[in-house]
Amino acid sequence: MDEKFDCIIVGAGVAGLAAAMTLARNNMKFLLIEKGEFPGSKNVSGGVLWGSDLAKLVPNYWEEDAGWDRFINHRRLTFMDDKSTFSVDFKSSHFNETPYTGVVVLRSKFDRWLADKVQEAIEESDFAMDSFIAPNILVEEVLLENGKAVGIRTGDEKFFADSVIIAEGVNNLLTRQVGLQDDYVPADHILTGIKEVIRFDQDVLENRFQLRGKSGMSNEFVGFATDGVEGGGFLYTNKDSVSIGLVLGLKDLREKGKEPYEILNTFKKHPAIADMIHGGKVVEYSAHVVSSGDKRIMPKKLYKDGLLICGEAANLLMNAGKAIQGMDYAMRSGIIAAETIVKAKKAENYGEEKMKQYQNTLDDSYVMKDINNFQDAVHLLHDPVMTQKMPNLICDFGRNFFSIKNEPTQKARTMFGESVKKHSSYLELMKLGWKGSRAL
Amino acid sequence: MKIYVCIKQVPDVNAPLQIKDGELIQDADRNILNAYDASAVEESLVLKEAHGGEIEVVLIGPEKAKETIRKALAMGADKATHILIDNDTAPDSYSFASTLSAFFKDKEYEYIFCGKQAQDTDAGLTGSMLAEFLNLPYTTNAVGLNLEGNVLTVKRQGDGGQEIIELPSPALVTCSNDMNEPRIPNLKGIMQSKRKPVETLSLADLGVEISEDQIKTRILSFEEKPARKPGKKYEGEPDEIAREIAQLLDTKENVI
Amino acid sequence: MSTLLTYISVTNGNIKRSSLEVLSRCNELAAEHGFQSAALIISDQTSEAAEKLKLHGPDAIYTMEDPIFKNHINAPLLKALSASIEQINPQLVAFASTESSKDILGALAANQNAPALADVSEFELTDNGVKAKRPVMASKIISAVEAKGSPVLLTVRSGSYDVAESSSDASVETISFSFDEADLKATLKEIIGATGDKIDLSEAQTVIAAGRGVKDDEGLKMIDDLASVLSAGVGASRALTESGVYDPSLQIGQTGKVVSPQLYIGIGISGAIQHVAGMINSKVIVAINKDPDAPIFDIADYGIVGDLYKVLPPFIDELKKMKSEK
Ligand SMILES: Cc1cc2nc3c(=O)[nH]c(=O)nc-3n(C[C@H](O)[C@H](O)[C@H](O)COP(=O)(O)OP(=O)(O)OC[C@H]3O[C@@H](n4cnc5c(N)ncnc54)[C@H](O)[C@@H]3O)c2cc1C
Ligand SMILES: Cc1cc2nc3c(=O)[nH]c(=O)nc-3n(C[C@H](O)[C@H](O)[C@H](O)COP(=O)(O)OP(=O)(O)OC[C@H]3O[C@@H](n4cnc5c(N)ncnc54)[C@H](O)[C@@H]3O)c2cc1C
Ligand SMILES: Nc1ncnc2c1ncn2[C@@H]1O[C@H](COP(=O)(O)O)[C@@H](O)[C@H]1O
Repeated sequence: MDEKFDCIIVGAGVAGLAAAMTLARNNMKFLLIEKGEFPGSKNVSGGVLWGSDLAKLVPNYWEEDAGWDRFINHRRLTFMDDKSTFSVDFKSSHFNETPYTGVVVLRSKFDRWLADKVQEAIEESDFAMDSFIAPNILVEEVLLENGKAVGIRTGDEKFFADSVIIAEGVNNLLTRQVGLQDDYVPADHILTGIKEVIRFDQDVLENRFQLRGKSGMSNEFVGFATDGVEGGGFLYTNKDSVSIGLVLGLKDLREKGKEPYEILNTFKKHPAIADMIHGGKVVEYSAHVVSSGDKRIMPKKLYKDGLLICGEAANLLMNAGKAIQGMDYAMRSGIIAAETIVKAKKAENYGEEKMKQYQNTLDDSYVMKDINNFQDAVHLLHDPVMTQKMPNLICDFGRNFFSIKNEPTQKARTMFGESVKKHSSYLELMKLGWKGSRAL
Repeated sequence: MKIYVCIKQVPDVNAPLQIKDGELIQDADRNILNAYDASAVEESLVLKEAHGGEIEVVLIGPEKAKETIRKALAMGADKATHILIDNDTAPDSYSFASTLSAFFKDKEYEYIFCGKQAQDTDAGLTGSMLAEFLNLPYTTNAVGLNLEGNVLTVKRQGDGGQEIIELPSPALVTCSNDMNEPRIPNLKGIMQSKRKPVETLSLADLGVEISEDQIKTRILSFEEKPARKPGKKYEGEPDEIAREIAQLLDTKENVI
Repeated sequence: MSTLLTYISVTNGNIKRSSLEVLSRCNELAAEHGFQSAALIISDQTSEAAEKLKLHGPDAIYTMEDPIFKNHINAPLLKALSASIEQINPQLVAFASTESSKDILGALAANQNAPALADVSEFELTDNGVKAKRPVMASKIISAVEAKGSPVLLTVRSGSYDVAESSSDASVETISFSFDEADLKATLKEIIGATGDKIDLSEAQTVIAAGRGVKDDEGLKMIDDLASVLSAGVGASRALTESGVYDPSLQIGQTGKVVSPQLYIGIGISGAIQHVAGMINSKVIVAINKDPDAPIFDIADYGIVGDLYKVLPPFIDELKKMKSEK
């Protein structure tokens, strides 16, 4: 029992659990350590796990009624000013087919459920008695010997392994400790996310949002949602609640002297939002830092001798307006990291060269391809023209376009022209359009 | 020395919950080791560290309560007995206590420790019921223990003050969480817990049946607590607020 | 005729108010159902209390007197209660919820093969038992429960019912009792930290509760001053009983005491559910806390956001002034 593990994973978030599941399925002996009281206890997410990787970890998960809340078949992007909203709305029965393209999850529930699945996989593996999920333990240090990761320390206990996967999430102290990330990260690359869960009677929720069975809706917001601060808002339907929240630029917040909670309150009072959430009861409030998806803060190297970094610890995240993607990247990177360790074990070589394959595979995967391709979109989202002027302009146009006034109606083009003049200029729009077309 | 500790898995009272049609729904299905039982386990471990012996935990509960047994083993208990019941059985303290008494009937031990109450039901009945069934001297609501020779001195929180009570062995004690700060299992403990023996027994093995007429008390439904009328928050100049509220308490509330 | 029996807690000849609350409820139920309401006093001195009881209208009064009942010891009390139940044959035995009644409730139930409900906040009779309400999950919610059988044993939270006065000419019947001290297996050595003549928290009309925010002697002095202006009982959160600042018997909450005063003032207390469990039934709740997001503000009628060291002095001054004008 005291002999060493093939791998120690730090952090039982999405990334760590995905890695653990992959290791268990490949008959590896590992230790998964989580500082929270149980997996999920410390985790905050708006809640859509995009993509279909979950099916890789838990085949046919959709046959189960546990763990996940709803699948997304209805997506909406909403521009808002202080009184109006103008939405792009897409709903398709394509999205009703399994594997779903996105499922809403509440992390405290989801992570626990996934951890139970990992435990089952451990029990089916050759190391039923020798692989562990250990909650309530804080890893304080990754042990390095001549630059090679050899284990971890918690309190005065040390545990040893051929490899270590760091999946510690955005607050990546260990990633810094092993020297893969600078200690200083500029504030304009950091966002803060806040979220409330508002509960309804399930019937009320389903009627209000036109949900049937386990179908669900995701709605992103730009404009007034963030009250002039860069960022965006979201609303997702859970089983019998909605998650509503904001992601806000930390630097901009500070400069404008605003409190996230106040902005969320203003957002909730917006007539369109108030209509969606009235009668509900706030049952949970949480706040968490989230990476901006800006590549400049990603560690250049995600590996070391015997060591890999995955998930948001490596700042793998994208927020390009139409969705926040962090969990799916975390999941995929966890899987790839574990697969790299499985190969390293076969080759009995955990050296840097072997570990580098992780980064190469990641670079070839949709994760890094998307992050690279959509960098401009990420920046665009932080452009004040996009976050403020555009939504105002669109709503202004909407108001004119949909008003019937018993007087001669202008052509839409004319209306649009007037809205543009009021809130921006054609030149600015052209620039934005040009940037936008390149970015998306 | 042999100490048995009776432990219960309870829903975490801190987890969000809701009531639907009179039924209680625990959002995240979060279950934990009853905090008072954790203190009982802790206290048994302290005694063992000082005097030697063996600590065995006993739990009546469904399959998923195994994780709670593991927790106690990870803290340092030596072995466990899991008396398995299915999820739908809703025994009351009386049926738990009589089941436990069937288990203890032919056992030898110096002490049985229980929690002073279960955090979910706040009943606080099982311990003294079990003592009566087993005809053991007992003390409830212990806030401190000391063992010298074979005399166990218990400090009990009573109505007026703290009662210092001496118990012979065998005896039963129910423990308050004011007794100690239960240790959080370390990694070694968690790892060792997997290899510690857990014996699983059925009710039939013990020759007991938790039948309808044995369950003497039952929960009919759950209700929301009558809501308090929303109050008001006062922020600002302490002097002014203090005066204003003193006045309101007098003239409006009439409670001064 | 069926009998509803109320156990009357007596300390130093004084009847606990919460016992009278329970008796009042039993009187009411007995009248409704045409039953008899009886009261039972088990103490080292019973006559004075029995006289006082007559002001609260039981149909019958039973007493059991023995020096061994001077302090709470579970074995003799258990024996006495079993003997009384066998003699009186009640359909219900109700206790005020105290550390002493909670100590024996389970054992008595096992001994009598009877159903038991602890810490109820409401109860009524049914054809074959009792229906009651019990706060559960650290008093976050209420459970409606049912007990079938006879006698049903229950303890009642203080403050659940009002005390009614109605004189009665009940006879006092003495039940004989003997207990050989040599039979005692557990022995009570001493009682420490007895709160003596201080105000009993669970009966206090005004309760001041101090929490971790009260950091030093200066703060404690303010608490004392406030308590003396308001003639209030002083309690504490676990933070301050655990650290030894206050006696553990003053802890309010799930582990400690349940209070239900007219006025509760929480000072430097965050409002953890385990604390709230013990004070949520107070009529008016005032909280002083410097953190505007402290959960106690969710339940406070008057929430003062501010530093207690700044708020208390003018508050005490003002109250003093008001009192002196009365
Ligand atoms: C408000 C908000 C909304 C979001 N919405 C979405 C969304 O809709 N869709 C989406 O895909 N993403 C969303 N994200 C992003 C997503 O939550 C993260 O990208 C994702 O959780 C990253 O997963 P991870 O496993 O890398 O890290 P985490 O989920 O943060 O997990 C890290 C784990 O490691 C543990 N840990 C850390 N340090 C230690 C240590 N030293 N020892 C032991 N354990 C340790 C932590 O307790 C934690 O459990 C959102 C984020 C926020 C804040
Ligand atoms: C099984 C179990 C049973 C428990 N039973 C009980 C129980 O019976 N009773 C009980 O009380 N607890 C109980 N607890 C503990 C409970 O969970 C809390 O830990 C405890 O109540 C916290 O006490 P507190 O509010 O004084 O301290 P804290 O939670 O630390 O709060 C202190 C508060 O003081 C405020 N403050 C600090 N300085 C100032 C200042 N200068 N001016 C104004 N405000 C200030 C702070 O903002 C803070 O909100 C139990 C816990 C468990 C697990
Ligand atoms: N299902 C159970 N299994 C083992 N012990 C139990 C069980 N239920 C209650 N107990 C013990 O009895 C104590 C009091 O429980 P209760 O009477 O429900 O408040 C608990 O703290 C445990 O020590």
